Amino acid sequence: MKYAIEVQSLYKSFGDLQAVQGATFSVETGEVFSLLGPNGAGKSTTISILSGLLEPTQGEASIMGHSIRSEPEETKACLGVVPQDIALYPDLSARENLIFWGKMYGLRGSALKQRVDEVLEIIGLTDRQKDWINKYSGGMKRRVNIGAALLHKPAVIIMDEPTVGIDPQSRRHILDNVQSLNRQGMTVLYTTHYMEEAAELSQHIAIMDQGKIIAYGTHDDLIRLVGEQTRIDLTLNVEGGRVIDAWKRLEGVSKAVSEDGKVSVLVEDSNRVLPRLFEAANPLGVRILGVDIKEPNLEAVFMHLTGRALRD
Amino acid sequence: MKILDIAFKDLLRSTRNFFLIGMTLVAPLFITGLIYFAFGGLQSGNVSMTAIKVGVVNADTLTADAPLEVPIGKNIRDMFFDDSVKSWITASDYPDEASARTALESQEIGVAVIIPQAFTEKLLAGQTDTPILLLQDPTLTIAPGVVRDMVTSLLDGVAGGGIAFRVISERLQANGLTLDSASLPGLLERYSTWYAGFQRAFFYTPQNAALVLTSPVESGNSFQAMMGLVMAGQLIFFSFFTGAFSMMTFLQEDEEGTLARLFTTPTRRTLILTGKFLAVFLAVVIQGLVLLIIGHLLFGVHWGKPGSFILSLLGQAIAAVGLSVLLISLVKTSKQAGPVLGGGLTFLGMLSGLFTTNVKMPAAFNAIGNFTPQGWVLKAWKLTLSGAPLSQLLLPFLVLLAMGVVMFLIGAVLFRRRYA
Repeated sequence: MKYAIEVQSLYKSFGDLQAVQGATFSVETGEVFSLLGPNGAGKSTTISILSGLLEPTQGEASIMGHSIRSEPEETKACLGVVPQDIALYPDLSARENLIFWGKMYGLRGSALKQRVDEVLEIIGLTDRQKDWINKYSGGMKRRVNIGAALLHKPAVIIMDEPTVGIDPQSRRHILDNVQSLNRQGMTVLYTTHYMEEAAELSQHIAIMDQGKIIAYGTHDDLIRLVGEQTRIDLTLNVEGGRVIDAWKRLEGVSKAVSEDGKVSVLVEDSNRVLPRLFEAANPLGVRILGVDIKEPNLEAVFMHLTGRALRD
Repeated sequence: MKILDIAFKDLLRSTRNFFLIGMTLVAPLFITGLIYFAFGGLQSGNVSMTAIKVGVVNADTLTADAPLEVPIGKNIRDMFFDDSVKSWITASDYPDEASARTALESQEIGVAVIIPQAFTEKLLAGQTDTPILLLQDPTLTIAPGVVRDMVTSLLDGVAGGGIAFRVISERLQANGLTLDSASLPGLLERYSTWYAGFQRAFFYTPQNAALVLTSPVESGNSFQAMMGLVMAGQLIFFSFFTGAFSMMTFLQEDEEGTLARLFTTPTRRTLILTGKFLAVFLAVVIQGLVLLIIGHLLFGVHWGKPGSFILSLLGQAIAAVGLSVLLISLVKTSKQAGPVLGGGLTFLGMLSGLFTTNVKMPAAFNAIGNFTPQGWVLKAWKLTLSGAPLSQLLLPFLVLLAMGVVMFLIGAVLFRRRYA
């Protein structure tokens, strides 16, 4: 099967709010696919539809060839979902949690016991399997949270921002896990608003904003969208609004965005444009306190496409 | 199978919830225990009262022309020395009131019965100016009441005999006949013998005495019956708490994200909901069984016929699940649920008479209970405790079944809407 996940013109609205507006994308079997976008872009709603939590208002999607509308049980059987927040029973041990979730995926008896042992090994918690979840650190909870989705050896794993709010070490562990699972043949749909994670993990990336897929392709495909543009982040002594219009008019500047006393500018050639930025700021009484020049990346792509920073 | 997995997981979590265990088992037993010890410190199984120490001063004598062979004062005195009450009454004679008072002050005796001179003569003459005097240790409550009631009971018998004698005399006179005075002592003797036996049968054991001397109940002894009602009130009140707080796991799972995660597994939502409802039902049944057994072992409560108490317990569990599902479907968060459940169930419990099971309440108040599930559960348990057969339990059970099903359906519809 070429595509593990196929999404066609998916819509979801909550009253007047259009959370997903015609999202269309396909995830190839055996790849890591990242859905990248800021908070509120519609990523979680999209994967909630794919995992059977929400009914789409319109459109269709399939997982391993099973329609989410007409074959929900079959769809769920080949899917492992890692929720964004820890979704475990705090007053059960890691082993008890895994046994319970394994049963919910239809595992029983010795097969269940063996698989629980394997998963505990994978997540590195064999030694502490009998401890209650509420005794674990945040990173350990995250690992059990992922482990619960692996018990039935799903063909597809959906991970919803699994690294939000955790320490760098646990984050590294999770990213390594994702790559390891992918090497074992699992298809991974990974949502994040960290562009470095998407860049590191994924073969294909879809950028989502305001409910729509605004760009789709490999990392290099997406970078090419901004050409050779460089992003310059400037820290100012005043609000960026005082200078941003002047900078937008400068030759070589394609986009300028202001946020939290910082201005991000997309430029063709940073060496040539940077002195002009200083020149334009001086007459307006704006002092530039810091400059950070970044090579073209996904954040620049997002800014190029939306006129806003990804961190929005 | 998944239904049972979900139910057992919830039950396992309940056993690890100290608050729930407290509300489920500790609180009802603690409150019942307090009442148990407050009312006499009776011990398990048999009701064994502390021996009552009675001092008797009998100054009653008969005149030569008295119609009785033995003064009533002697009958009263002998009643406390009778073999039938020796297991729980220790009686002593005192020559006069002063010596009895001294014994009372030194706590040699708990109650003194002072029978005045010519008591029989004055009683038969209808004079009441020299009654029997009862003196008591002010720290005692039960013993003086028992002694007073025994004396009153005997005197009631004498008075009853007197009334019967007068009625017979009048009827004979109305028919132109007179009672043969020679046969009068024999008649009185036979009546006296019969009544003494009657009294013995009453006071042979403290259980019988308690039955006769306090407000009548349908079966068993009054203390056990009272404890049965107290325990039933606690059992019902806390079973609804158990149901509601077990059902609260629904909201907690929603907040913890595990409910959403359950919905992503290949498990139908109907199965998930059924599993959670089953957990609540099992929690209430297990709690009920544990409390029934402990209530029997600790407080000597006899829960009636097995069929009847099984039906009562079943009706209670059905009603508790129904009300719990309805209440939890009306609240959005576990923070909201705490005060709503606490306040709502306490209010319903009060209306249902769960806290006044041993108090005679106005009929209007009792009628309110007909509109609450707890009220019908209480009816079922009262019938069960009174030894009612299974057939009499059918009406309250059917009402509870109907109430439970209706509340459950309303709650289930609201849940389905919320999680659709």
